[in-house]
Amino acid sequence: MGNIINFEVFRALKKKSFWIASITPLVFILLVLGIEYFSTKSATNNAAQQEQAFSATAKIGEFDDSGLISQQLVAAQHITVEQNKDAGIAAVKSGTLDAFFYYPKDPTTMSIEVYAADTGISLSPPYNAAASQLLHQSVVSDVSAAAKNDQAVQILEKSPAVTATTYKNGVESEGLASVIAPGIFAIAFLVLYVLLASFMISSTAGEKENRTAEMLLTSIKARTLIAGKIISVFILGVVQLVTLAVPLLAVLLLFPQQIGLPAGMTLASIPLNVAPILFGALFFVAGLLMFTGLLVGFGAMFPSATEASRFLGVAIISAFLPIYAFQNVVNSPHTLVVTIFTYFPLTAPLTALLRNAVGSFSIGEALGSLAVIIAGAIVAVWFAVRAFRYGAMEYGRRVGIKELLR
Amino acid sequence: MRFGPKEVVKDLSFAVHQGEVFGLLGSNGAGKTTTIRTLLSLFEPTSGTLLINGKRYDPSMAAMVGYLPEERGLYRNEPVLDTMVYFGVMHGLSRSDAKKRVLAYLERVGLGDKAHERLISLSNGQQQKVQLGVTILHEPSLMILDEPTEALDPVNRSLLMNIINEQRGNGATVILVTHRMEEVEQLCDRILLLKDGIRALYGTVDEVKNTFGTTVIALTYNGTLPMNNKLYTITKQLPHYAELAWREGVTVDQVLRFLAGAPDLHLTTFDVRRPTLNEIFLTLYK
Repeated sequence: MGNIINFEVFRALKKKSFWIASITPLVFILLVLGIEYFSTKSATNNAAQQEQAFSATAKIGEFDDSGLISQQLVAAQHITVEQNKDAGIAAVKSGTLDAFFYYPKDPTTMSIEVYAADTGISLSPPYNAAASQLLHQSVVSDVSAAAKNDQAVQILEKSPAVTATTYKNGVESEGLASVIAPGIFAIAFLVLYVLLASFMISSTAGEKENRTAEMLLTSIKARTLIAGKIISVFILGVVQLVTLAVPLLAVLLLFPQQIGLPAGMTLASIPLNVAPILFGALFFVAGLLMFTGLLVGFGAMFPSATEASRFLGVAIISAFLPIYAFQNVVNSPHTLVVTIFTYFPLTAPLTALLRNAVGSFSIGEALGSLAVIIAGAIVAVWFAVRAFRYGAMEYGRRVGIKELLR
Repeated sequence: MRFGPKEVVKDLSFAVHQGEVFGLLGSNGAGKTTTIRTLLSLFEPTSGTLLINGKRYDPSMAAMVGYLPEERGLYRNEPVLDTMVYFGVMHGLSRSDAKKRVLAYLERVGLGDKAHERLISLSNGQQQKVQLGVTILHEPSLMILDEPTEALDPVNRSLLMNIINEQRGNGATVILVTHRMEEVEQLCDRILLLKDGIRALYGTVDEVKNTFGTTVIALTYNGTLPMNNKLYTITKQLPHYAELAWREGVTVDQVLRFLAGAPDLHLTTFDVRRPTLNEIFLTLYK
């Protein structure tokens, strides 16, 4: 099998098309991040506008120990002044307030503290930016006073740090940050599936086109060959992920705020919870294995990669279907459509990855969905082996499912 | 062997002896390739068994078999060396040994400078040499060559013949699937001829000729060939060539003396020969 993996991986790595496919998404992402970087100022203005927009609907309180916050701005933005820090936090925990901003005595050396209700991934407003912006606007609103105050001058020069704490049902939650680690598996799944789908199909269809299938099948067992090809797909996936992740990680480390990460969020502050990460990894591997098996099997059934590729769209759409129900998957995980998506093999991987990331999965549901995906993966790999074993020598025609099951 | 309602090979039984060149013959669709694919476990037989050294073929036996399939091809976009080493390793060679053998083979067939070129950049004849190299690189003890000379140019055909002879000299067994009778006459010790999936001929070339053919007088001439129903019948006649079957009780000498004295006939050659396999083949397929 090592021989197959070695051959498959290196011949793919030698192809320009592989590197073009790997680097193109990176170029696009870096382009978007670049635009984000150069529009930081307008983003600041947007944050202010957003703050005003949601302060009209959200209930926000503040307590100022720095003496820098303009009470006129506070009143204008319908922000309430709490009695003290503890009262503000208690109000958020009890649900009286949506968010509470605490400004410490010296914001240049101490972080602004934001306490907010955890409203889920899709509805999280930019409280951190709003808290920071309120301080900035307060200082700007009285320039003559600010000029005599060292703290104010420093705040104008550099935005102060902000730390955020979120609460769900009165208990501290990890908020948006907790989504990141398990969410990476969902993103990796989507990216790899799109990048590798045509490679999966051509890995077997190519053997038919090249007329090498017969020589291979007399030299190696079909299941060893398919296993080698699937492992090769995974290795190439890792190469593509590393190609994408390393430059992005560098950008995140070097310019976290400039590219729009929430203020105060660093790589070190991302929570690493074992269970969601473990489930994410399992959903990712089993899901990718299932679709790899399916596409490798399609490749063996059809006389050419071109013909097999006609079914590529169907395979990709079925995997991506949960995206169309994203709001439900995230915010209403127990609706009928999400339940169906969770346990239907073709939609289960992405649904499970998303629900696992946002924490809307019970252990029982996660195990149930994982069982479905693993069963789907086993069937798909079995199908791929059978399709290659019995379809690879049918050079000029498509092999029907009935023939494979005979 | 049955594909759906169609029985492709029926009641077939044969043995190939170690060290011989065995010809599996028949016209297109006779069941030759199906028999080979079943022998190599690519097809499941509907009933019966085909064994190599007493065992059903399994890819773990790949090191002892060199198979040149009827439908053949290689990775056209890959370098020659990588492709050949890949198949060499698959047939049980170590990577370094495979590389050594590939380079030696390429030198031998005049492709030493093409090792790092992509197959697609090679001519058809050069690709055929590479294909052949993949089949014999691991020095298999059993070579199964399905229509090996099909689409080969004369140079490669001669190369293949030499290689088959060489492998046979080294003790290898060769199963040659073909419908080219001249190759069979040159190379094969024993043959099996399939007709519509049924064994029509089986045995050594001599046995087959003795059993299924009639010895004839072949002559070339100028002038007019006389009829003589007491001595012979003309079985084949062209403007300057004829084949005669002599009557029972008549000797070849009598026929020769008669023809030598015939007016308006000048004999150029007079030969007594057994029928060729091609003739037997054509007779069977009439």
